[in-house]
Order: sequence, then C-alpha cells, then structure tokens
Amino acid sequence: MARICRKAGVLVLMLAAFGASGLRSAAQVKPPDVEALLARLDDLYRSKSSIARIDIHVTTPRSTRSLRLKAWTRGEDEALIVIEAPPREEGTATLRVGPNLWNYLPRIARTIRVPPSMMLGSWMGTDFTNDDLVKESSLRKDFNSRIDRRSDAPPGWWIRLDVKPGVVGRWARIDILVSDEELPVEERHFDRKGRLARTMVFDETKTLGGRRLPVHLTLTPTDTAGQRTELRYLDVQFNAPIPDDTFSLLRLERGR
Amino acid sequence: MAWIASRYAVRSVGRNLRRTALSVVGIAVGCVLALFMESLNRGRSELFARVGASSGIGHLRVVPAGWRARRDPRLRLADWQADVAAARSLSGVAVVTARARAQVLLAMGTHVVPVELAGVDPDVEPRTFRYVQHMQQGRYLKTGDAGGLVIGQTIAERLSAGVDDDVVATAVGPDGQIQSAMLRIVGIVTTGSEDADAGVCQVARPDLERLTGLPGAGEVTLVLDEFRHAEAIRGELASRVSRGDEVLTLAEVAPEIQGHFEQDAASARFVSAIILLIVLLGVASAQLAAVLERRREFAVLSALGMSGARMVRLVVQEALLLGVAGALVALAVGLPIIWRFAHVGLDFRRYMGTFAFQGVLLDPVIYGDFGPWIVSYVTLVAIGATLAASLYPAWYASRTDPAVALRVAQ
Amino acid sequence: MSRIAWRNLWRNPRRTALALAAIGLSVALVLVYDGMLRWESDWLLDTITGPMLGHVQVHAPEWRRTRSMDRILPGVSSTVQGLRRDPEIAGANPRVWAPALAAVGEEGFAVVVLGLDIEEESRLARLLNGVSVPLTAHRVLMGRQLAEQMSVQPGAEIALVGQGVDGSLANDLYTVAALIETPVDLVNRLAVVMPLADAQSLFAMSDEAHEIVIYARDPARAGALAARLNGSPAIGGAEALDWHTLAPAMVDLIKLVEIAWVFVLVLVLVAAAAGVANTMLMATFERTHELGMLLALGTGPSRIVRMILLESLALGLTGALLGTALGGALVAWAHETGIDYATLTGGGPSQLAVFGMNWSLRIYPRLAWIDIARAVVAVLVTSVVASAWPATRAARLQPARALKD
Repeated sequence: MARICRKAGVLVLMLAAFGASGLRSAAQVKPPDVEALLARLDDLYRSKSSIARIDIHVTTPRSTRSLRLKAWTRGEDEALIVIEAPPREEGTATLRVGPNLWNYLPRIARTIRVPPSMMLGSWMGTDFTNDDLVKESSLRKDFNSRIDRRSDAPPGWWIRLDVKPGVVGRWARIDILVSDEELPVEERHFDRKGRLARTMVFDETKTLGGRRLPVHLTLTPTDTAGQRTELRYLDVQFNAPIPDDTFSLLRLERGR
Repeated sequence: MAWIASRYAVRSVGRNLRRTALSVVGIAVGCVLALFMESLNRGRSELFARVGASSGIGHLRVVPAGWRARRDPRLRLADWQADVAAARSLSGVAVVTARARAQVLLAMGTHVVPVELAGVDPDVEPRTFRYVQHMQQGRYLKTGDAGGLVIGQTIAERLSAGVDDDVVATAVGPDGQIQSAMLRIVGIVTTGSEDADAGVCQVARPDLERLTGLPGAGEVTLVLDEFRHAEAIRGELASRVSRGDEVLTLAEVAPEIQGHFEQDAASARFVSAIILLIVLLGVASAQLAAVLERRREFAVLSALGMSGARMVRLVVQEALLLGVAGALVALAVGLPIIWRFAHVGLDFRRYMGTFAFQGVLLDPVIYGDFGPWIVSYVTLVAIGATLAASLYPAWYASRTDPAVALRVAQ
Repeated sequence: MSRIAWRNLWRNPRRTALALAAIGLSVALVLVYDGMLRWESDWLLDTITGPMLGHVQVHAPEWRRTRSMDRILPGVSSTVQGLRRDPEIAGANPRVWAPALAAVGEEGFAVVVLGLDIEEESRLARLLNGVSVPLTAHRVLMGRQLAEQMSVQPGAEIALVGQGVDGSLANDLYTVAALIETPVDLVNRLAVVMPLADAQSLFAMSDEAHEIVIYARDPARAGALAARLNGSPAIGGAEALDWHTLAPAMVDLIKLVEIAWVFVLVLVLVAAAAGVANTMLMATFERTHELGMLLALGTGPSRIVRMILLESLALGLTGALLGTALGGALVAWAHETGIDYATLTGGGPSQLAVFGMNWSLRIYPRLAWIDIARAVVAVLVTSVVASAWPATRAARLQPARALKD
C-alpha cells in the first residue's frame, strides 16, 4: 500500500519541486523581495495540467529501490501515474480523482479501489507522509518570512520562514537557500519542537518544459540513518493539453 | 412419647458436653469453610465487573447497527444524545459516557504514528477508564479546552514528543477527503505495559468530530452499580434507544473476558460441590463415630420400649439441635470473617509473580460477597449436613437389638 | 506393638471402616479438586498460548513496534531447524505477517496475509487445528467473518495486493479453498492464510519471515527460555519474548483467578483435615470407656497413647492409600474419557470464547505426584494429631472415671 501513497506523494512532491523553482532571471546580488519571491515559488507549483516522467530512488538501511514513472495531473484533484520501470512492475497504474484512489495491476489485470481506512494506515513506514498528500501548504500564506543572511558558497540568500499561528502543518520553521537565479538550492524543515527534521537538496538545474528548474531532489530525514529519497525529472510539459478521458478507469485499464 | 423423645434429645446433647462440643465445632468449621468458598465464588463476578468498569469497556454499550460484525470505528450512532439520555434515565446505572473513534495519523516532523483516536467526555472518562486516572506527566483533558491530546508513553516515544508539543493529526473525512488539525499533548500516560500504553490516545469528543467530520458519537458506554443486573437493564435500555442502535453487554463487546468469566464460574460451581461434599463427609463421619459408641444406650432405650421409629426421630432431633447450634456458631464466627473479606478483600499483590506490570488492569485484590444470603446458606448447609449425616445413624439406631445392650464386651 | 495396634483396629470394624471412609473419601475429593485445578491452569495456558501466541516469540527488534514489512528475520529455515533441535523446545514455527488489500471485485478490503507452516499449525491445539484442506498452487484460507464481509464463498478468486519487503508492489490472484473458524478472533475477522513459501514469494521474501513461534517442553519455563534465547546467536541476535510479556492485558485477570483457585485448594485441604480431625477426635473420645478398661487392667498410660497413635497412623495411612487409589482412579478415568463440562455442571457452556478464541470445553484433569503427597501428608498428620489429644487425656484419667463413661 505504500506503493499507492508513494505515487500520490510523488505527484505532490513533483508539484512542490516545480513550485520551488523561480523564474528565469539574471543573477542578482541585491536581496530579493521576499514576498514576491515566495509568491512566485508558490505559484510555480501550479500549472493547470502537466505531463511528466520521473525517476524515483529510495534508499533505506536495508534496501534500495528505483522506479520510473509517467504522471498526468490536472488541477489538484486529478492524477494518473503509470510505472514504466522496473519491468516487474511496468504498467502498474494509480488513478486519483477527488477523494477516490484506484490501482490497476496489469499482472492480474485487476482494478482495485483503495478503501479510505487504508489511505492513512498504509503510509506508515514510507517516506511520504500525509502532509505530502494533503493540499500542500502555501509558503507565502502560511509563513512569516524574512531574509536571514547572505550565503557565499553557493551564492544565494537564506530565507527564514516561521509558521503563522493557527496553521495546520508539521513544520514550525523552514529555512530556504535560494540561489541568485531565484531557484531553490536547499530547504531545511524544522518540526514543531524546533528540531531539524529533514533536508531537501535541489540540484542539476536545467530547462525543462520551458522552465528553468532543479531536476534532482534529495529528501533526507535527520533522525533515520541511511534513509533517503531521490527524485529526478526526466521531462515535463506544463499546461499540457490533456484529453478529458485521461482520468478515467477505462483509460486506467486500457493502457496509455 | 414424642415429647419425651425430644426432651431426651436435649438432655442427651447436654449430657455429653464434649461430644456435643466436638460435633458443633465440627459442623461450624465446615460451614465457615463452605461459606468462605461461596463468598469467594460470588465475589468472582465482582472481579469481572471491575474489569468492565476499569478498562473502558463498560458493562453495557450502545452501538450503531452493523458495529458488532464489522467493528468499524467510523460508524456513528443514529442519535447519540437520545441514547445518552435514555441511559441516564435508567436506575442502577453508575456512569454513562459517549465516545467516538477514528483511525488517525499523528505526526511530529518525520515521525508518524497511526493510532486509534478516541473522542471522549473528559469529565466522565476517568471514571470508566483506569489508565487515565493518573497522569504521569502533564494533566488530563478538560472540557472546553480544545485541541488537547492525551497519549500513552509508547506513542509519545515513537513521535519523539512530550507534554506541550504540537502534533499534526490527519484523518479521512466522510467523503474520503483527507483532513488535518493541530493537537497539543497535554498529558502522557505510563501504565508500565507497552501494549496498554499504545492503546491510550484521547481527545475531547468535539475535537474528534471537527477532525473527522463524522458527527456525533459511535458508542455510549454504561457502568452499572451492580454487574448482575446487566441483562435486565440491557432489555430496558434496548427499548429506549434510537432505532437502529443496539445494546451490547460486556460479553458481546469483549468476548474474551466473558469467556474466561463463564469458564471460571462453571468451574467454581463444580468446586463448590466438592467442598460441600467434603464438609458433609466430615460432619457425617464425626456424627457416625459418635453414634457408633452409643450402641448400649440405644439398646437400653430399645429395651425400654422405644420403637424404631421413635429412635429415628430421636436421632434426627438430636441432629437438628446440633445443626442449629453449629449454624449459630458458624454465623458468629463466619460473619465477621466474611465481612472483612468483603470490605478489605484478599490482597494477592505478593503472589502476582514477577511481571513488571502488576495491577495494570485491576487491583490484585479479590473481594468476597457479603449479603443476607449468608444466613440462609449457613443454615442450609449446617442443617442439611447434619440431617444427611444422621441418616445412617438413625437407621442404625432403629435396628438396635436390645440384647446387644446387655452384653458386656463391645 | 504395631501388630496389636492393627488388630485393635479391626476389633471394631464399624468404627474403623468409618474412619477409613472419612479419611479415604476426603483424600479422594482433595485429589479430584487438584486434578481440576491442574486442568484449569493447563487449559488456560493452552487457550492463551496454543493457537497464536506460543510460549516464546522471536522477532526482528523493531518489528513489534512498527510492524514494518522489511523488519524480517533472515535465514529463517536454518534458525527454525536449530531451534527444533533444542532439548527445551517442543516446536518452532515461522510466520509471515503482511498487511494487504484483498478484492473479489473492485472494492478493496484491508486484510492481513498470514504465511504459515500449514502442516505444523494444523496440529492439535494449534491455530489451524483440524483444518485439513490441501493448499496447493495459489489456494488460500480465509477467516469466516472476513469472507462474510467480502461476500466470498469457497472457490472464489481474490486479488491480493501488498508491499513486498523491497518496497515493490506485490500482487497476485488466489483461490479461496475454504473458510476457517480458528480460536483466534483476529484471524477470523481479518486474515487470509497461505503456506509460508507462497507468502514469501508473493512479498519478494527469500528465506525470511517476521516471526517464529516457539513452544517449550515445559511451559512453566517459558520465561527462562525467552531470556536464554533473547539476542542469542541461535536466533541471529533477534528479540525473544515470553507470552507474559507479549500479552499482558489479560495476564492480571488470569493470574488473579489462578491464585484464587490455589487459595481454594487451601480451603479444600483445611476442610478435609477438619473433617478427618473431627472424626478422629470423636472416635477417640468415644473410646474412653474402652481405654479406661485397659488402664484398669494395668496398661501404662504411655503405652495407651502410643497404641492409639499407632492405630491412628495405620488408619491414616490405609485411608490415605485407599483415597489415593480412588481419587487417582477417578482422575485417570476422567483424563482418558474427558468430562463434558456442560453435562457436569448441568447446562453450562460447552464452547467458550476466551481471548477472542473459541474452545471446546471438555475437562481432562490430571495429577502430579506432589498433589498426592500433599493430600496424604495433610490427612495423615491431621489424623495422628487429632487423636493425640483425646488419647493423652484419656490416659491421664482415673480408670474408675473412665469406666463410668
């Protein structure tokens, strides 16, 4: 069941990654306008629809695992994810429409709907938690922000985000290192006790789908030694035209 | 002649004081032992009643239709407030509390723990759930204090969180959408048992309702004054709760506990029989020993013209006298013992072995039962035993050959 | 002297027979109770540990807390073989526990897949006790209540989807061979049971399992066994815990009730002793006349006391032996045939649900030597002591007074 959630989580993390990218802009030395920057970061998460191919690599102290998948998304509510590799799982697909989640399993040619009780429970033991699957927090709306300090290597700015009172979320504080290109380099998430809980590193900046962004993300929790999740975006189309019938069970089963 | 027989009986009893005393003491001791056993047996149901009252299970529970088979925590009662009112309106009910449950994920940073979260009524809950009576850290929930969370030590450790920390709780709403809220840990419970700790996770019911979007309560739990009235009260309650809601007993909610109770009660009945047999045996043989030595006396009486039937009556009357005396002594000695047993109980703490979690669920004390039943029980046993014991002697006496009396040797 | 004592006994056959009966029957009854008591604790232990829990369980250190699929015990087949050779261990069975999704149509249900050594666990008093359905090629057993919920009949095809130990998606189709009703409620409500090897291949496990259930030869030594195995190389450094630690919730209640039973044993012994004492006292006091005669004839008081004590001893021994024979025979017979509880207690339960398990209620009492020794000693001592007082009293009397009695 981690399978399903991993896919859904991938979806959001993918959106998050895109959101973290900034506009193609020239390197600046002046401190950026934080409000505007965050708005851009938030907004760039969104694209009305997208089609992407992603590699995921999960490392645990006991094993490693790699997947390649293709994902279609529309708005916040619709997503279709199909596994392309490894061959053992090729063709396995997950469809999310609103609150409903289905899995298609090609080996046994069956479509199964995931009951609500398993949507939460199955996330345990995975790297993706419920927060990653809920409509993601808005950096601009949920946090108070300010420039913290200048960074020289890599050159950029550390931005300090403190959660506003009343916001529901796991992070009390987020430190973001933004490059002079206004692209994210590193994010540090601090839990509600102020402890560094996990670190996201962004690198391999490229132009994909008409946007300049880091395509490689590494998520490392602080507490668990030897645990790491990596994403790499192979290609992306933003605001891609997606046929209406994409997010349907029929399409799920018939293949893409 | 009958009157003479009974006077003879009285005098005979009074004449050989030692024999009489021995008989009476023998009967009394036997009765007290049997009494203690019976009090213990009746007290056992008190033990199981305590389990119901202290574990949160309750003695009766109102549940939604379909809960019994599926045990789905997301099910809700048709009209929980009406059910609570119905429960409170009955007599013999000590505590009534409503709860709602849901499968929830608690998160602190990257630590995530799935739990079954119970939405409770903080004012009443400690009276039904032993574990939350004492908080090892922090405090218990208070009505009107929104967003408070009480968890067991095991959960706190897995979350790497402590008192006054904020955690994110996530649940699946009624339409399948995922909802989250912040909760603040106000208290942590340490029972000494990892498993028990892992089962403690509570918020105020309105908070659970807000989190899950599922309205109302999923159960109304009752603790009764007297466990034995459970069936009767269940019937009454079932007729008053909202349509569709069912009333279950402890047995149906927690069959494992009930199973043990039944098995134990059945065995106890068997054992009571053994003890009564032993008592009967003791009394009978002592009586018989007494009678066997009175051959000459009976022979003389028979020679004097007392008929067999009268001799039987004589022996029986003597037995009755002894029985009554024995019962009185038994009551005099037994009542204070049983009273103490019922109020102070037998404390078995020392014998509970090496478990680290002694007394997790229960105080390791057994209380006997004390009630008007004692008098009738003792009387029945004493008189029953002596009468039964007198059967053979009576028959024996009636067949005495007068000539035997006149023989010199035994 | 002892021959005289023995002959004396039979001079008054009725009194002797009576005393023998009192002693013998008391002993027999005490032994019957003991037999019941031992059965009760055996039964309890079996009900709790037999099907699911075992006496000791072995897990990877974090498994109990997180129930994570990847917390496995590696090299499980050789570990189990090694354990089975251990002289203190009667049996060891590996298990796979995997949460999964089961679906007969489109609707998925949360289930637990249990991979078991089917043959071992189908033995008497184990989880699948009595189930004898061959589970070849992709056939599984399903808990009855789960099947009802899913509207599944034997012969239906179900899909199982879960997470392999390497995180991969585990999925396959299976046929439900039969529905099972086990002593364990959890299994009936949530489990799909398949052979261990099938579970291992479904979840991409090699020679691995999540749990090893161990049955000790002497259940009372479960704690010591667990302590010895815990962290040892015999189990590859894994965690071993005894059943008390694993299932503490009911332990309180059970222990308390067990202690009550032992307490009652004390009551039973006292009752028996009281009965015997009463009888012996009565019998000896009633002999005052006879003893007076002996005194008058010149028998020394100390000889009288000795004679009586010897008689009582002989009486006690004989009675105890008779009682042991009777009680022992009763228990042995009951052990062989078993007593149906319902008929014995007049309509009590014949099947019980205990700890979420269903158990048929037949009593098989048994005795240990200590029970017999205890009963015999108690009764023997009581009869001797109980006759000592009246004997010494009588011996000190004036013969004339004694004769008057």
